[in-house]
Amino acid sequence: METYKLTVNGQPKEVTADPGTPLLWVLREDLKMTGTKYGCGIAACGACTVHVAGIATRSCVVPVSLIGDRPVVTIEGIGQDPVGRAVQDAWVAEDVVQCGYCQSGQIMSAVALLKKTPKPTVTNIEQSMGGNVCRCGTYVRIREAIQTASQQLK
Amino acid sequence: MACSSRAMLRLFLTLLLICAGWLAATPLASGQSASRKETVAPATREAGLAAWQQVYSVLTHPRCINCHTATDYPQQGDDRHRHLFNVVRGTEGKGVPALNCATCHQGANADSTGVPGAENWHLAPLSMRWQDVNDKILSSADVCKSLTDRSKNDNLDAAGVLKHQQTEPLVHWAFAPGRNRNGTARSLPPLTHDQLVAATRTWVEARMPCPQNP
Repeated sequence: METYKLTVNGQPKEVTADPGTPLLWVLREDLKMTGTKYGCGIAACGACTVHVAGIATRSCVVPVSLIGDRPVVTIEGIGQDPVGRAVQDAWVAEDVVQCGYCQSGQIMSAVALLKKTPKPTVTNIEQSMGGNVCRCGTYVRIREAIQTASQQLK
Repeated sequence: MACSSRAMLRLFLTLLLICAGWLAATPLASGQSASRKETVAPATREAGLAAWQQVYSVLTHPRCINCHTATDYPQQGDDRHRHLFNVVRGTEGKGVPALNCATCHQGANADSTGVPGAENWHLAPLSMRWQDVNDKILSSADVCKSLTDRSKNDNLDAAGVLKHQQTEPLVHWAFAPGRNRNGTARSLPPLTHDQLVAATRTWVEARMPCPQNP
């Protein structure tokens, strides 16, 4: 076991974990931040997406030992960011969510997309969101919400 | 008796001085041996071509060629299947926003989760593709031609090509590729890294000869 100092949503955190422990389990089990979801455990579905140094990251496959001093932002903190706030508002406006299980990962990916590509095309959206799976099939509303958020951010 | 002993001592001291002088004059004593340049005959074209075939055997191993694709996506595994999770190349060979290489691949292998990693994980540019759009590996002659064409190889001269093989983190990764998700070790290229560098050096010293397509 090792002790790791993390910065999560701007707050310093200290956890003791095996170096191979995925960041997801440090967030959920040690820090009790359960907004980030376990979906597949192999980076295939995107439900566990967080931001590490601004990059959308699949927390289920990234060991805590590889985070280093890079800041982590989760769904609990993304609303503090203007783009994150706009995306969450658009999600509500477009009534995107059905069961909701994948949506924290969807929102984290959407924010990462809009931060790099503020005016995304449909192709941009489909490519960037292509790694986030939704069993309820909310893809059309997700795309519309990203476009709504993009317009709000102009 | 005393006179004889003195003569013997004088003879001994004289011999000692001669030996010391001889030793001082040799390169071994002056430290030149280690830095002395060996006279090495330049590698012949035949030796260069043979070395190239060794290099080619590494470049076309899945650990290398999976990221030297001709397509809009990388490949995975020894069967070189399309990368899962809808990963695409992107404009810089690093994926697209929200689905970058770094979304999963970190600066080192993550053996606990089976995700390989190394510094600056990315696809090689299309100019350095070593397979065609149907995933057929290009011939030895064609890969060699790409690698020696400075309009395709990031403007590397011979020394640059050798340095790339010696120092590029992703080249090093291919020889320490970590474990798959099921705990098995990823397969390795047919040469060690040292052997790859040695073969590349021989090929470079032979002026990077390329074979001809049949």
